[in-house]
Amino acid sequence: MKEIRQERTPACYQFALELEAYMEGEKEPFVPAHAHECAFCRVILEDLEALRSAARALPLEEPSPAVWSNIRAQLVAAGAFGERVGFWNWFGQLDFLPRPVPVAAFACLLLLGCLVTVPRTYLEHQATPELSALPASTPTRSMAFAGDSGTLERAVRELEETFRAREGSLSPDLKATYEKSLNSLDASIRECNDSLEREPDNSLAHEYLFAAYSQKAQVLSSALELDEGR
Amino acid sequence: MPDQCEPTTKKLGVAPYGHGLIVYFLVLSGTLLAVDNKRIEKSFEACPNPRVTLTNMTGQVLVRGWDKAQVHLVYSVVSPHVEVDAEVAPLNQPADRIHLSTHLLDPLVSGKDQAADYNLDIPMGSNLEIWNPQGSVRIEKLQGDDTSVESVGGTIVVSDFTGHLFLRSVGGDIEVIRPSGHVEAYSITGSLHFLFPATSKLRGTTTSGGILFEGDFADGGDYSLSSYSGDMNILCPASASFELNAKTVRGKLENEMPMTIRHQSATPLSSANSFFGTHLTGKATVNLRSFSGTIRIRQR
Amino acid sequence: MSQQKIAAPKAASETQLIARAQSGDEEAFAALFEMHKRRVYSLCLRMTGNTAEAEDLTQEAFLQLFRKISTFRGESAFSTWLHRLAVNVVLMHLRKKVPQQISLDETDSSQDEPVKRDYGDNDRRLLGSIDRISLSRAIDELPPGYRAVFVLHDIEGYEHNEIAEIMKCSVGNSKSQLHKARLKLRDRLRQNEGLMAPPEPVVSDQPATER
Repeated sequence: MKEIRQERTPACYQFALELEAYMEGEKEPFVPAHAHECAFCRVILEDLEALRSAARALPLEEPSPAVWSNIRAQLVAAGAFGERVGFWNWFGQLDFLPRPVPVAAFACLLLLGCLVTVPRTYLEHQATPELSALPASTPTRSMAFAGDSGTLERAVRELEETFRAREGSLSPDLKATYEKSLNSLDASIRECNDSLEREPDNSLAHEYLFAAYSQKAQVLSSALELDEGR
Repeated sequence: MPDQCEPTTKKLGVAPYGHGLIVYFLVLSGTLLAVDNKRIEKSFEACPNPRVTLTNMTGQVLVRGWDKAQVHLVYSVVSPHVEVDAEVAPLNQPADRIHLSTHLLDPLVSGKDQAADYNLDIPMGSNLEIWNPQGSVRIEKLQGDDTSVESVGGTIVVSDFTGHLFLRSVGGDIEVIRPSGHVEAYSITGSLHFLFPATSKLRGTTTSGGILFEGDFADGGDYSLSSYSGDMNILCPASASFELNAKTVRGKLENEMPMTIRHQSATPLSSANSFFGTHLTGKATVNLRSFSGTIRIRQR
Repeated sequence: MSQQKIAAPKAASETQLIARAQSGDEEAFAALFEMHKRRVYSLCLRMTGNTAEAEDLTQEAFLQLFRKISTFRGESAFSTWLHRLAVNVVLMHLRKKVPQQISLDETDSSQDEPVKRDYGDNDRRLLGSIDRISLSRAIDELPPGYRAVFVLHDIEGYEHNEIAEIMKCSVGNSKSQLHKARLKLRDRLRQNEGLMAPPEPVVSDQPATER
């Protein structure tokens, strides 16, 4: 090793200029030659080479089990895994989750999904006082409710009430489109309820009923977002 | 291979970039090519697969893919109180994000006066997101990874698309012609038409609109179509190889294709009709559902 | 020969898993997740330096995988295809978070610092100081643009032409940023280990190292 230099020399600057290319595997014979002579530059070169080796040797990290649980839960909820989650396929086909949805709408859909997928022991007809007093736009018969099922109906109804309170601010064309869609969905809800009254175990009718409520929540959410100036 | 300017496929909110992210260009952004009364033309240099988003209120939107690394925009407005803004990032480089939006200078402008018509030529590999609640959207020849279009009352027509396509219109009709890749289309009262698809995965859901599927089924493809009360018509060639799972609660099932029947029921105890069968070797899977609409499968 | 026999069944089974996952088979998709989760998560972790973000991005990458797996044509290895998808997910996230910092504009010198000189202890190398934890910490402390290039090249093994394509920059820019990242890492590791004296004015007034 030669004498220790206390400051850079032109050779050190040349080393610095060519170091990048040398590290990229290009032929720069000056770099190793100078490193042989200059302790400072040699340290830099060896450090960078050690760094590169250490980076390549970094071990893989393991994610927590929650990662797969979350992935699976989202895919199952979207009906991604075959017929055994067929009921959820209709929920997934709507694919409304990519769009921001008001918390109330999403919460009511989750709750609706949970309730409608429970065993037939929960298939009771309940008409709560609040529900029977409500306008006929959202039929209340024959939903698979149990316990505080009124909460779910209320959530959907709240969305609708908010929409009704604000629909005057929509343009006539938009309002007409929304009305037509909501009427169509309400008709499907009524028909599904009628079917379920006759055949409480009709799984396809259940699926459609759930889908209709999901779509209704989505349409109402869309209208409210539009009103909020999306 | 996944694309390079790849959007977050899951989050399709149209509110784009927030503050601090985009330099806000007005009329002078990109290259201003022409100003013709209320018609304005602009051009932006772009990377091969930028993310292009467009927010409009009403008016026609036409988007075409081309092989130039450039976004070319021609727009026209009816009212002088309506303006189109272009936000481009990054600066001083070919853009990989371009957001176009129509905004009102006067909140009293209403109805058709809010209209802005867009004519866009964008790189074929672009990822596109459009929100046009009251206007129609037409897209041609895109090969980006992800495209989504949402409308309330407008019709949506997409032709010669490759990639993942997500379309939703509350009341408008949706037509998809010669797509490849993965297609999802949803409407409540609008009808869905799928013509000559070459998709591996196709989803279509409508409540009261009708569904028309005309074309072949790709080997290994997965097709799911659902309507509530609208009728469903499937027209496929004699060479189509698919496994059919069809169910309806109150509607009719009419099949003209010769099939190996796995299961068929229309029992007095249940009003549901179902039909499970295989045509040829059953290479594709076709799921059809309706509540009260008629499902027809016919040979082209 | 025996290695080939061992390798072939694995390749065949992944092909089968992919085909089954494309049909919505949960078990197959779970198996693919098990096979690739560590690499994807490690990438996300190194690029973000944050475990919570890394887990979110890993989830997002695999959810996107499920959505897009039907478009996988086998033109490249599945691991390569998945890895590129994960890189795009991370970069999109980083761009949304702090977009300017992911810029690799050639003219951006905001992250540049002069190369520090060691005075005196010229034989104190980093060799014994680069343990996994120190290195990981130092990488986390890199500015996002430097970190991205370093992780993609030195850890994940991408070539500069691939990085240039991913990050929309030139190959020269990628190489330059990598070099700066390494120098910065070196500085940080030496500081952390007390190997470097506090910065002192350069005795010579030669220009700083720049290309």
